[in-house]
Amino acid sequence: MEFPAALFPSYFGAGPPREEGGPALAAGWGEHGRVLEGSPGRRQQAQPAFVPLRGGTGETWDPSEAAAVPVLPPSAGRWIPSPAPQDILYRNSVCRKLRAGRPGATLDFSKQLGHFFEDHPEDAFGSMGQLLHKNFYLGNSKLKRPARSSTIRMTALMKDIDRLEARRGCHRQHLASRLRWFSHLCRDWLFEVPLGVLADCLHEELLLQWSDLLFDDSLTGGALAWLPPSDTGSRTGRLVYPGGQAMNHLFFQDIVLEELPRARGSPAQFELSGRIRQVAAARVDGEDFVGVRSDYHCGVWRVPGRTRTAPAPLQVIRTDVPASCLTVSPHLPGELAVCTRSGTVYLWSIETGLQQLRHDPQTMFFRDHSPWRWSDFTAHPRVLSCADRTGLQCLDARAPKKCHFDLFKVGEEAGCQQGERVVLPMYLGRAHPSQYLVTTQFSMYVLDERLPLVPVLKWAHMMKAPPLFAHLMPGDPGRTHKVLLGTSRTQELLLLQYQGGSQSACQLAGAPQKLHSIAGCLQHLPTQLPHHHHLLQQRLGAPAAGLAAMLQQDGTCETMLVFQLSEAGDVFCQRLTHEAAHPPAPTSRDEATTAPDSSPLFKAPASSPLGLGTAALRYHRWLRALFRCCREPCKHSLPPSLSQRRLFTRKDLEGPMGPTALQRQVRQWLRQVMQEGGHIQRWEPMALQPPALPQPPEPEGGPDLLSTRLTAAWSGDWEQWWEDRTSFSISQRQRALRERRRRQKRARGRRSLSASFTSSLTYQSELSELSDGGPQLLSPDRPHVLSQEGSPPASSLLPGSPPASPAPDEALLSSQSLQCRGIPKERRKTLRDYLSVWAEAPPEPPELPGSQASQLCIPSSQSQLSSASQTRRKRPRMGF
Amino acid sequence: SSHEHKLNFKKSKEACLSYIQDAMLQKQWRRAAEFLTFYVEALEKDYSREAIGPSEMIWRIGTEILCHHSRSSMKEFNCFMEQMKTLGVKRYLKVCLEHVFHLLCNGQIDEAYQNLSLAESWRFGEQTAIQDKEMKLIQAYRGLLDYYSWSKQKNILLEHGPDGFADLSVEQEMHSCFRKAAVNLKEIIKVPGVWDLFVKCYVDLLEFYGDHNEACQVLNEYAYNSKFPANPNAHVYLYQFLKRQGESKKSLISALKILHDIVPSHELMIDFNTMLQKSKKRKKRRLGLEVIFAVLDYAGWKENVKAWSCLARQVKQIVISEKHLDWIKQEWNSRKDWWPAFHFSRYLAKKNWQENKSLSYEKALVAGILLGKDCKYFKYVSHQGCKAQVKRFRVLKKFVNRHNPVYLRISG
Repeated sequence: MEFPAALFPSYFGAGPPREEGGPALAAGWGEHGRVLEGSPGRRQQAQPAFVPLRGGTGETWDPSEAAAVPVLPPSAGRWIPSPAPQDILYRNSVCRKLRAGRPGATLDFSKQLGHFFEDHPEDAFGSMGQLLHKNFYLGNSKLKRPARSSTIRMTALMKDIDRLEARRGCHRQHLASRLRWFSHLCRDWLFEVPLGVLADCLHEELLLQWSDLLFDDSLTGGALAWLPPSDTGSRTGRLVYPGGQAMNHLFFQDIVLEELPRARGSPAQFELSGRIRQVAAARVDGEDFVGVRSDYHCGVWRVPGRTRTAPAPLQVIRTDVPASCLTVSPHLPGELAVCTRSGTVYLWSIETGLQQLRHDPQTMFFRDHSPWRWSDFTAHPRVLSCADRTGLQCLDARAPKKCHFDLFKVGEEAGCQQGERVVLPMYLGRAHPSQYLVTTQFSMYVLDERLPLVPVLKWAHMMKAPPLFAHLMPGDPGRTHKVLLGTSRTQELLLLQYQGGSQSACQLAGAPQKLHSIAGCLQHLPTQLPHHHHLLQQRLGAPAAGLAAMLQQDGTCETMLVFQLSEAGDVFCQRLTHEAAHPPAPTSRDEATTAPDSSPLFKAPASSPLGLGTAALRYHRWLRALFRCCREPCKHSLPPSLSQRRLFTRKDLEGPMGPTALQRQVRQWLRQVMQEGGHIQRWEPMALQPPALPQPPEPEGGPDLLSTRLTAAWSGDWEQWWEDRTSFSISQRQRALRERRRRQKRARGRRSLSASFTSSLTYQSELSELSDGGPQLLSPDRPHVLSQEGSPPASSLLPGSPPASPAPDEALLSSQSLQCRGIPKERRKTLRDYLSVWAEAPPEPPELPGSQASQLCIPSSQSQLSSASQTRRKRPRMGF
Repeated sequence: SSHEHKLNFKKSKEACLSYIQDAMLQKQWRRAAEFLTFYVEALEKDYSREAIGPSEMIWRIGTEILCHHSRSSMKEFNCFMEQMKTLGVKRYLKVCLEHVFHLLCNGQIDEAYQNLSLAESWRFGEQTAIQDKEMKLIQAYRGLLDYYSWSKQKNILLEHGPDGFADLSVEQEMHSCFRKAAVNLKEIIKVPGVWDLFVKCYVDLLEFYGDHNEACQVLNEYAYNSKFPANPNAHVYLYQFLKRQGESKKSLISALKILHDIVPSHELMIDFNTMLQKSKKRKKRRLGLEVIFAVLDYAGWKENVKAWSCLARQVKQIVISEKHLDWIKQEWNSRKDWWPAFHFSRYLAKKNWQENKSLSYEKALVAGILLGKDCKYFKYVSHQGCKAQVKRFRVLKKFVNRHNPVYLRISG
């Protein structure tokens, strides 16, 4: 552990930061900082040779692909994006103009409150709604005399609300007198939760969400870890990352290092009880220890060095206050440092448990409101660093109160700017035992424990967001150490190189280099359908959630692999190769990289015999899988809610077996006929006759539903037609419902069913599956019936196509058929009731059934008030 | 309207800047240079009040591009710098300093000296605090270059021998260089900061002319002034100076003791330990044990044979003499819960044995004494050593077995 014989000159002052300023785009360029005599020993012969603090020569690393490439298939299950600014900000053109002079964002409080009422009507108005539902009328028609005295027509009120929405930001709100009257009347008693309390909670949550949006420090450290191969010969490492819809599954995936890293086998998976915020790993004595932090739980796993041994969970701790940091000791097995947002720092040992080192809700050097704390290890296994936004201190775990020293202060000591705050400290022990990295939103600092408070290296990193992730790749003696900095929301990745620390003073080597971000690959992908493009844009633009990297020596060729995790759970990788052997002809390299728009990713490289590169193939596969797994849930994209319960399980409704031979044959015909563009008129399974000439459609007595609808649509007054239909069907449905309720009451009297069936979110999906699956049960002569009904049989029989007519067959409702599907006796009747209601409903336009029908009986958070409001409000009447 | 025009201009300026930034971060220097030529227009209507205005941007970006651009030359660089110096009064000294640094890194010492002299003579109204600092640095670097030419002339004189009639002019020039260097160097090391290079040069000058008192004072001030950062080098320079002066052991030890207090992991601690071990005083030997134990606490010393052999030697001495076992016991007390896992695990035994036999020998000796003959590390290494028929390992095994009761006393 040598200390440099001479350090770069610098001034040292104490006190608060003097330098004003903020983020500046070019602040990191063009400075040497200071110079120092390079090798003082050899001065005798010649002139002194000077080396600069910044701007020395570094190594050249060239990206080998035009974009980052997916390593793993997209995670199954739809990703729920975290809220974007437009979700919670008040946005209105009128309003923006009015407030143009005022700085700051306005949170859209009323919209969010409205969402709450729509999403949780039971919690918001449950009992009052039940009491009053007789007095609220949702229909369009005029109320009759006796009812009028005790019933309000809600449709008018709804219209007023819609109008209010359109007039938002307008000064003259007296126009909505009816609304004001209504709210004045019932503000005090209508709500289940007192409105004031609710609003307070909501406002608090909104502020929290907004501050998270501005800067989410819970992700600090990153949730991606790379466990390198245990012995140098092996080429299999492990990637540890979170996944699943709620990011609460922990995966350990074996990765084989080839030209592009490839997953081998299926990952070891653990389900945790919270969203994983951070994954930290360190190798001690040939074993990897992986620490995992979620808000209220921290856990540690041991991964034995031998390949194909399963990772073993060791211990879990629960915290009352969310934890903000978890780091794993690189010195002693099974030791970790934990910090919580209450300002407590613990040393956590698997054997001896938790030891509290410090408890101080105040920040260390000056007052700052942030409860964020961080802790990491230092060169001395018993000395831990402990950080908040104002600086770093080192404490001795054996006497934490007495033995401590200041390592870094946001102030004049380090030449900080005003408003600068610590974002991420990291122990650089693998590069040099006493070095430390500290990043702030403006700069990165390298510190040496042996010379506290004075950074041995400082550089303005010019990143657009604060770097929350950092990764170190130590270099061999004589080579540079590589540090990667990563941001979350902007997905930036910056590669820095530095050297020195023991024999020579620390120097920044070479120019910083930007690496590919995940979203950067979008421009290289082949043109997509608009909705796919949008989906991709959203998916690839998800904030980064972690960063890991490794150096790999393969004969003479040296490569760097950089993994990046996104909040959607995707892991992308990019490869850089080191140019050491042949110093490049400078101009040619310059030219080669000059055109940024070229997309060699999807162009066939001359060397590849397959036509497309490995990267392109990866992308094709990934895109296909993404669109496949996104298509399924999109069809009924109802956000899951807590009240989700099933009426019938999918298994209940499945057919007894797979498609029979007959069904297969019929399907084959269908496909064949469709290819030929012909018709099928009769289903003659045994003897397929050549299709007869199509006959002109015979005019029937009255135009059927479809024709009238199409005619209406052509003439432009389709809406009118639809209104007529719905108002007609509403009364019809109401009748059916009332009937059903009566029957239900009778049934309830006999035996209690309430436990066995409740409203179901998946009802609609099951139902459509049911009608999809219907034809599968057909006996050979059934198709006649279908074709007689006038709906085109080809489309209704196409597997996977939406049902043209949701009318269920009587065959479906027969007891035998229900029985053979394994539906319990007591449920059969309910199902029949459901379906009979459905049978009376009019055929709906192909776009609508999903959303509208589901809103009929399901509380949904979709705020399509316009068309669905009437049916929506009726929900309490249905009373499931 | 003019407001809109301003706004648009600002927008396009920002866009241009971000293109430049993007190109530079991808090392596309030529592309960045092309964009920069457009950005120069931003100078014309500079309405900004940001911390870094367009002129500074152009200086910074331009310098960086010229440092990396494949077709740039030193001449172009100098030309660009001269232009940049005229662009802003407040930044003049900083640009000068950076220009000098660039010249120095490219070995153009004389040009750098000229530039420093020019910058030093620059006067413009009242100086801000930052400019004052920059001016001091300029003077200090000039002093440094003066020092280099002094030492060059000194070498010429020394080569010709003390009695040679080397021409007087060289000697005169050397003295004038000394005066110039001394004045400037003396100035900057008064200000709190890290001035390793300047202090070393200044002390060298003083020592040559026999002003040891002044040198000692300068070094003491640099090491012990509380306004200066706790720089280990300051103590190292003082120690080295004292050693050169042939000062007493006592003063050397006290200098190193302070270094030990600041940086227990410093490499001089090995020398310190040897020095203390040789001492006749019990207290010093006790301190020696403390020092070497503290050194081995640090991850950076984990595999250092020298440190381990120092510890092994001292521990062995104590065990053989059977005096002061309580010293070991005291040191061991605060370490016994983590040293076994940190130093003496089975994994490390294997690794050390494979990589460095003598390291494993020294560590096994210490492990055997501190943890007894049943300790994993000792068992593995002595077993391997006996298997490989290395004599010293057999002796080691015997030694530890004989002194096993010591372990019980230490751990008890």
